[in-house]
Amino acid sequence: MKRCRRIGGLWVLGLIFVAAAAGGVLGDDTAGYRRVTGPCHFEFPRDHGAHPGFRTEWWYYTGNLEAPDGARFGFQLTFFRRQLRPSSARADWPRRPSAWRTNQLFLAHAALTDIDGNRHYAAEEMSRGALGLAGVERQGDAVRVYLGQWDTVIGPTAHVLHMAGEDFGFDLRLAPVKAAVAHGDGGYSRKGTDPERASCYYSFTRLKTDGSVRLHGRRLAVSGTSWMDHEYSTAPLEPGIRGWSWFSLQLDNGTELMLFLLNMEAGGYHPASSGTLVAADGKTTAVAFESIRAEVLRRWTSPSSDAEYPLAWRLQLEGTDLDLTIRTPVDDQEMETGMTTGVTYWEGSITADGSSGGQPVKGRGYMELTGSNQAMDERL
Amino acid sequence: MFFFRLFVWFNLRQVQRHPWRALAVVLGIALGAAVFTSVRIAVDASLDAFTRSMDAISGRADQVVTQPGGRVPEDLVARLRAIPGVVAAPVMTTYTRQAGGGRSFLLVGIDPLMDRAMRSWEKAGPAGGEAAWLQIMAEPFTLLAGEALAREAGWDSGGQVILTHRSGDTPFTVVGRISTEGLGALANGRMALCDIATFQEFTGTFDRVDRIDLQLAAPDAGLPAEAAAAIGPNLKVGPPGSVKASGEDMIRAYQVNLSFLSFTSLFVGMFLVYSLVAMNAAARRRELAILRAVGASPRSVYWLFVGEGALYGLAGWALAMPLGSLLVRHLLDGVSATISTLFVRVHVDRLTLDFWEILLSLAMTVIVAMLAALQPAQAAGRVPPREVMMAVRRSEASRPTVRRLALTGLAGLLLVWPLAQLPAVRGVPLAGYLACLLLFAGFALLAPWMLRQAGRHLHPLTRYRSRGPAHLAAGYLRDSLARIAIAVGALITAVALFTALVIMVRSFRHTVELWVEQTISGDLFVTTRMAETNRVWEPLPPLLVDDLGQREDIDMVPNRRFSLFHEGHAFQLEAMDFEAFRVHGRFFWLQGGDHLMPPLARGEGVLLSEVFARRSGLGVGDTFHIRLRGHDLAWPVLGLVRDYRTHGGVVFCSLADLDRRLGGLAWGGVRIFFTDRSRDIEAATARLQDELVLRFGERLTMMPGSALRSAVLKIFDETFAITTVLLLIALLVAALGITTILTVRVLERTAELNTISALGGSRGQIRAMILWEAFFIVAVGEILGVLCGFGLSYLLVYVINRQSFGWTFLYGVDWAALAVSLPLIVAAALAAAMPAMRLAVRTSPAALLRAFGR
Repeated sequence: MKRCRRIGGLWVLGLIFVAAAAGGVLGDDTAGYRRVTGPCHFEFPRDHGAHPGFRTEWWYYTGNLEAPDGARFGFQLTFFRRQLRPSSARADWPRRPSAWRTNQLFLAHAALTDIDGNRHYAAEEMSRGALGLAGVERQGDAVRVYLGQWDTVIGPTAHVLHMAGEDFGFDLRLAPVKAAVAHGDGGYSRKGTDPERASCYYSFTRLKTDGSVRLHGRRLAVSGTSWMDHEYSTAPLEPGIRGWSWFSLQLDNGTELMLFLLNMEAGGYHPASSGTLVAADGKTTAVAFESIRAEVLRRWTSPSSDAEYPLAWRLQLEGTDLDLTIRTPVDDQEMETGMTTGVTYWEGSITADGSSGGQPVKGRGYMELTGSNQAMDERL
Repeated sequence: MFFFRLFVWFNLRQVQRHPWRALAVVLGIALGAAVFTSVRIAVDASLDAFTRSMDAISGRADQVVTQPGGRVPEDLVARLRAIPGVVAAPVMTTYTRQAGGGRSFLLVGIDPLMDRAMRSWEKAGPAGGEAAWLQIMAEPFTLLAGEALAREAGWDSGGQVILTHRSGDTPFTVVGRISTEGLGALANGRMALCDIATFQEFTGTFDRVDRIDLQLAAPDAGLPAEAAAAIGPNLKVGPPGSVKASGEDMIRAYQVNLSFLSFTSLFVGMFLVYSLVAMNAAARRRELAILRAVGASPRSVYWLFVGEGALYGLAGWALAMPLGSLLVRHLLDGVSATISTLFVRVHVDRLTLDFWEILLSLAMTVIVAMLAALQPAQAAGRVPPREVMMAVRRSEASRPTVRRLALTGLAGLLLVWPLAQLPAVRGVPLAGYLACLLLFAGFALLAPWMLRQAGRHLHPLTRYRSRGPAHLAAGYLRDSLARIAIAVGALITAVALFTALVIMVRSFRHTVELWVEQTISGDLFVTTRMAETNRVWEPLPPLLVDDLGQREDIDMVPNRRFSLFHEGHAFQLEAMDFEAFRVHGRFFWLQGGDHLMPPLARGEGVLLSEVFARRSGLGVGDTFHIRLRGHDLAWPVLGLVRDYRTHGGVVFCSLADLDRRLGGLAWGGVRIFFTDRSRDIEAATARLQDELVLRFGERLTMMPGSALRSAVLKIFDETFAITTVLLLIALLVAALGITTILTVRVLERTAELNTISALGGSRGQIRAMILWEAFFIVAVGEILGVLCGFGLSYLLVYVINRQSFGWTFLYGVDWAALAVSLPLIVAAALAAAMPAMRLAVRTSPAALLRAFGR
C-alpha cells in the first residue's frame, strides 16, 4: 500500500510547470495574481530577481562534480518563492504591520549525491520572506536569493552558491559558459492545453563549476558542470496531469538538452510536453512534443515511499538524430520533503550515452520525476 | 493458614457481633482516607495540568533567550538562524479575553514555520482546504482556538470574535480548532494560536519578542560561541525548565501542606481504631487468656489485634475510594483556584488517577490503622494464661500506665520547640509538621492523666452539689480512663486544629487588612489593559501621563513593575515614587521604619518583602543584585516589609533611581489620590474613570481603590475555602469518635445502667448521666484541645507558613470567634452523644434479668 504524504502539502512544485495566458480557466485561487500571457522579455540582472505578483517562482541549480581523487558527486539546490495572497490583499493589512507580516514564503531543497558511496543526502528549509530570514535582494549588479544560511548570489560573471546543512554542504562558483537560454517563445513556456497555463522560463544550461563540498565534516575540492533554471508562474497544474519527468543533459559534444514530459493520469504524455536543444554555439532549437520518443527501460520502487520511478529511459528526438539512453548511477535519489512541501519526488544525477547525428555521444545531467507517489496538484 | 482461621474465628466473629461499632470506625477512617486521598489527587491534577502546560510551551527547546524585565529584539532571530547548528524560534504569549467579558485565555504567537522544530500541534477536525498554519500566516487577525476554549466560548470555524487587549478591541476570524495535543494542550486547551505578526499587531508589541527558543545540534556542548556572541551580554540564556521547576516546587510544597491538614482527619480516625481494638481486647481478656492457655503465643495474639486494625484500615480505605471520588470533584475547583492565586496559573480539566497515589493512600490508611492497634495488641499479647482462673478483671489502666503515658506525652511536647527551630527541606517544613504531630500526640497522651485529675476533682465536687447524674458521671470518668481518653484524644486533635486555624486565619486576615489599608492606599489604580493578568506592565500611554500631570485635583504615585527571577524564584521588582507614596500610605515594616523613606527615594537602597527575604536569604545590610534589561543593578537592602502579594516576593526600589540607571523608564501604573478629601471620593473616582475611558478607550485597566482592597480580601478568603472543608471533616470524624465511644460505653454498661433503672433511676436521670459524662469528656477534650490549638497556631504562623510561603503575620487571637464557636463544638459534641443516650434507656429491666440469668 502506498503511503500518502500530506505532512506539509504540495503547492510549490505542482505549480512550476504551468502557465497562464487568459483569465477564467485557472480557478478562483489564482484570481488577483499576475499571469504569464506571452513572451517574457527577459532583462538581466532584473529578471534574475523575484517577480512578486506571480504566485510561484523558483531558482534551481543542479550539477555533476568530481573531486581530484575521482570521487563523483551530484548536487541540487533550489529556492522556491510562494506568494500567499494576491498583492491586493495588502489593503487588508493593519495600518502598522508587524515586521513579521509578509505575503511571501520561501522554501529551499538541497541534496548531495555521493555517487561512489551510493548515498543521497537531502536537506530542506522554509521561512517567511521577512526580517532578513529569507528573500531576494539586489546587490549592485548581482541578485541574492537567500533562505537562512543558504543562498545564491547571481552576479554578472558567476553564480555563487552556499549551502550548509547538518551532514553536508557546498560552496560553489558557477561561471556561465553560455548565455541564458529562454525556453518556448521568448521564455513563454506553455505547460498545458490552455494557453494561459504557462510560465516564464530561462536556463543557464552550462555553468563551469568549481568549489568544495563538505560531507560528514570532510571537505573536498570539486569541479564540474552545472545547470540553472529560473521560472515563475501563477497557474496551477492542468487537471488530468499528475506529474512530470524533466531532464537536463549536458552532452560531451557541447550541446545541452532540456526536456519535460507531462504525465497524464490516464497514461501517456500531455501534448504540451516539450524541450529545448542548445547547440554548442548557443543556438536554441525548440523540441516539439511530436518529435519526442520516450521509452521507459527500467523502473525502481522506493523502499521508503513505495513510489515507483522510471529510472532508465531511451529518448529519441526525431529530426535531430539524437538517440540517448538515460541511466542513473544511484537509484535512491528520492527527496522526501516532509518539513516543507510535503512532496516526495525523485531528483538525481543521471548519465546519458547514445548518438547525435550519427556520432557517439555521452553526457551527464539531472532528472526530476514527480507524481509517482501522489498527484502533483494535491494541495495543503 | 491457621493464623487466618484463628483471625476469622476470633476477630471477625467479634466484628460480626457488633457490626455498628465496626461500621462507625470504618466510616471515620474512610472519611479521613477520603479527604487525604482526594486532596492529594486534586493537587496532583493541578500539578499535572501545570506540567503539561509548561511542557507544551517549552517544547523541544534546549535553551531559551530572554530579556529580564523586557523583551528580546526580534532581529536576533534571523541572526541566530544563520548560525550552523542552531535552530531558533520566537514565542510570544499574552492573556486576553473576548470584549465584553468572559474568562481570560492564553493567546500564543509563533512563527508556524520556525516553530515546527520546537512544538507540534495539529488542526482538529477534517483535513482539507488550505493548511491551517498557512492560513494564520497569510490572513491578518486569524487564530486557531484550543478545543476547550472553542467549546467554552462556542467559537465555530469561520466565525468572528472580538478580542481585547491594551491596544484596544480587535475582530479576529477563527479559522479552526487545534486538537488537545502538543501546543494545543497548553492551558488545557483554553488557548488560541496566531501568527506572530498578528500577535504583534494585536498587542501593539512591535520589534521585540517575548523569548527565543533555541534548539542546538549539540546541546551537551553548550551554546556555540557564535550564538553567544550574537546574543550578547544583555540577554539571558538558560534552560527552559526554570519556570517549570519553580512552579512545581511551589505546588508540591502546597500539596504537602494540604496533605498534612487532611492527614489530621486520618489521625483523628486513628483514635477510633485504637478505641475499638482496645475495647475488643479488653472485653475479651478471658477469651484471650483461654487462647493463651491452649497454646497461642503472645506473638500470635499480638498479630491478631494488629490484623484487626489493618482490617479496619483496609475496609476504611475501600469505602474511602467512592467517598473520595465524590469529594475530589468538589475540592478540585478550590484547589486549582488557590494554586492559581498563590503560585502559578493552572487550568485543570481532568483528573489523573496515579497508581502510586492510590498505593500511598492504601499504605497510609492501613499503616495508620495498624499503628493505632499496636498498643492494644501489645496489651492483649501480654494477657497471662492464668487470668482464666481469675474472677476479677484487672483495671483498664493502672496509675503507673497513666503516668507513663503522661510522661511520654510531656517528652513529646518538649521536643516540639526544638523541632520548630529546624529549617525547611526544599521549601517543605518537615520538622514543623513533625512538631505538629508531636503536639497532637503529646496532648492525646496527657489526656488520661488529665481525665483522672478531672474525675478525681469533679467527683467530690458534684456530690456536694447534689447532682446525682453528674456525680455518677464524674465517677465513671475517673474510673474508666483508657477508652474515654481515646475519645478525648480525638476531640483534642480536632479542637486543636479548629482553634489553631481560627487563630491563624484571623491573624492572617487582620494582618492583611492592615497591609491593605496601609500599603494598598489610593482612590484609583490605573495600569495598561491585561497587565495584572499577564504580569507584564507595559508603559502607560504618554498622553495619559501628561493629562494626569496637568490635573490639580489629584496626587499620583507612579510605579513600574517587572516580573523577574532571582536564583530560580519568581519575584516582582517594583520601582515606585517613595516620596509621593509616603504622603498617602506607608509600608508595613518588619525591619526599619518611615525614616528610611528619604534614602529610599534617593535610590540609596531597596526594601525587600518578607517573602523575598526568606527565599533569597537576603537581609538588611546585604546587597541585592539583579540584571535588568542588560544592566547589572545592585542596591543595599535598607529594610524589610510585610507584603502579601502572591506569586513570589517583591523588591521595592526608587522609580527615579531606576529611570536613571536604565536610561529611560516609563510608568507602568499609577495610583491616583484626590487631594480634596472632603469631596465625594467615590463619585469623583467614577467621573475620572469615565473621562479616561472617553480619552483612552479600552486600553487601560482602572480599578477604584475600594474595589481593589475588597478584591484582595475576597481572594484571601477564597484561598482558605479548602482549609475550612478539611477542618469540618476533621470535626466530623471527631464527632463520630464521640458517638462511637459513648455508644460503646453504654453498651458495655448495659447491666449497670439497667440496675440503676431497676433501682428507681428514671430514664431522664440515666440520660442526664450519659449527657454529663459526654459533657465532661467534651469539656476536658476542649480545654486540652484549645491549649494544644494555641501551640499549634504558633507552629502554623511562625513555622509552617513562614517556611512554606515565606510570610508571617501579626499573631492575634479572635476571642470572639472562639467564644462563639467553642460552645458550639460542645453542643455539637453533646449532640453526638444523643445516640448513646437513646440506647441507654432502650433496654428494659427485663433484659437486665436475662443478662444476669445468663
